[in-house]
Amino acid sequence: MPGMWTLETVQKVAAVDSAVWVDVLRLMVLARKVDEQVIRLCRQGQIRGSSFTGIGQEAISVAVAVAGEPDDLFAPCIRNVALHLGRGETPLGIMRQVLARPDGPTGGRDGNIHHGRLENGVYAMISHLGAMISVVAGGVMAKRRHGKDAVGVAFVGDGASSTGDFHEAMNFAAVFKVPVLVIIENNHYAYSTPNSRQFACRHLVDRAVGYGIEGLSADGNNAAEMYVTVRGIMDDIRTNPRPVLLEAETMRMRGHGEHDDFKYVPEELLLLYHRRDPIKLALRAMKAAKLMDDSAFSAMEAEIEAEISQAAKQALSETEPSPDTLTQGVYADA
Amino acid sequence: MPMREITYLQGIHEGLQHVLEHDPESVLFGQDVGAFGGAFKLTAGLQAEFGEHRVFDTPICESAMLGCAIGMATQGMHPIVEMQFADFITTALHQILNNAGTRHYRTGNAVPIVVRAPSGGGSGGGPFHSEELETFFCHMPGVKVVYPAFPSDARAAIVAAVTDPNPVIYMENKTCYRSVKEQVDDRIAPLPLGKARVRRRGEDAVVIAYGAMVHEALRAAAELQESDGYEITVVDLRSLKPYDLDTILAATAATGRVLVVSEGWKTCGFAAEISAAITETGFHLLDAPVQRLTAPDVPIPFAATLETRYRPGAGDIAVALRDLIEF
Repeated sequence: MPGMWTLETVQKVAAVDSAVWVDVLRLMVLARKVDEQVIRLCRQGQIRGSSFTGIGQEAISVAVAVAGEPDDLFAPCIRNVALHLGRGETPLGIMRQVLARPDGPTGGRDGNIHHGRLENGVYAMISHLGAMISVVAGGVMAKRRHGKDAVGVAFVGDGASSTGDFHEAMNFAAVFKVPVLVIIENNHYAYSTPNSRQFACRHLVDRAVGYGIEGLSADGNNAAEMYVTVRGIMDDIRTNPRPVLLEAETMRMRGHGEHDDFKYVPEELLLLYHRRDPIKLALRAMKAAKLMDDSAFSAMEAEIEAEISQAAKQALSETEPSPDTLTQGVYADA
Repeated sequence: MPMREITYLQGIHEGLQHVLEHDPESVLFGQDVGAFGGAFKLTAGLQAEFGEHRVFDTPICESAMLGCAIGMATQGMHPIVEMQFADFITTALHQILNNAGTRHYRTGNAVPIVVRAPSGGGSGGGPFHSEELETFFCHMPGVKVVYPAFPSDARAAIVAAVTDPNPVIYMENKTCYRSVKEQVDDRIAPLPLGKARVRRRGEDAVVIAYGAMVHEALRAAAELQESDGYEITVVDLRSLKPYDLDTILAATAATGRVLVVSEGWKTCGFAAEISAAITETGFHLLDAPVQRLTAPDVPIPFAATLETRYRPGAGDIAVALRDLIEF
């Protein structure tokens, strides 16, 4: 049952340095406000096509970003802007990406959330779901051959769990004991398709048994639970290499993209998760623990909003890439 | 330097051996390639020589194999993936087309992977162990395709493919594995990707071919010289993407009559690309329409009678050349 903590979890949460919780909260707020800025730009007609956000799912990415070490590798998907931000991407980089600016992470060659910087350990996704799990596994295998104690984290949704690529990669990682944490963010809908049409097992995490690996579940809207769970797994597989499957229960709070009115999602489900908003939950807990107060939170929000607003303004002032660059860079120079 | 005879299969093996010995970042993996030595025994002994860390077996998972290779390549390694049969790449085309092929353009990160694709028919492999899929890969931006025909080139092309910082599909023809032999020394000459080689020179017509069809063309050329006195140029493309348009046009200029031979399917096939390129840029050099001789657009049949009709051979090439010269 989401939200029910064991005594062990409570003790683990209490043992974390309080500064970490401030980082977690700040990063969630940053990601939320970046997404909200992207939605505004989309509505203003500044962005080509649709926009895809991770609103309501920030706690999952943030837990991973804060728990990660510099050598770790990550394969985020479309709900993981918080992972990008937590690994060093800037709001300006995100704005340039969605606006297809030459100085953005893909220089306008790709759009929305299809970006990543290897210097941050982050792979740019492709839209073929499940395809990046084996990539991050291979990257971690290479890092380990080079003497680094890297681990990998791949994010997929409930929809991607149905693909052949998911199965191939899980089995591959299990056979080679690659230290990769595969997180299924079960946000209940793959575009309009509900869980009931996506899989027939009781819980997606049950699939771990079939791969001969451990599977865990966590409340994906509870940042503290996500952090202690992810941190525990990553620390453990770093020294005892093996893949682990983690199902994080959460909810997609908007449409698949901004073009989607998501009328197919029952109102009461959205209301339930609105009350369980990961930022609200974290803020309430931190206030109760005297780690945050209203004025400090307001100051944090104001500072973040100013940075994002400046980033959007800067990116809007730039122009799209020159058409003369169309054929450049298809191949790496031999 | 002393010369010795090696087969095409040995050429590939020695290329792999050379790379594994000289490039510590290289690894070779695939199904049954380790202690077993591969379905064709091409990798026999490599695991024993270089260890399980460098040469290893995988589960049956073409997509995960290629994804793993992309991950390794983006972290400084040089993975070589053996597909047991080229036919099986079809379950993982997205990893080549969308993942490896787009990555440098989108992110600036190089993906130096080599995918070995044992290809071609002629020995009763039937529809799923005989396919000739170079056209698929040549169609993909960001991907290179090599297709050697001779043992020395097969050896050098492995080295060139691994050295190249891009995804390279290494087409290797199963029919050539043990039937094609060549005298070589131990020196591996550099093979620039994108350079064809003229295997035979004559002024009456040119055959442009690759893979096993180079050998069929050379047999046809020898037959025609003996029977009709015709002198035929044979161009061995060696690299399909990029391909050597300069050599193709020079041979077109010297002969005026061009036959493009491929054991792949006809419609939208690689022979169509070469034919179109000659027509676009060398129309004024032609004395006759460019001709294609390819497999027909049918699945690859099992029966010897059917497959022999299906696959272009020296006799078919000789007939096509005679028609072309007498056009």
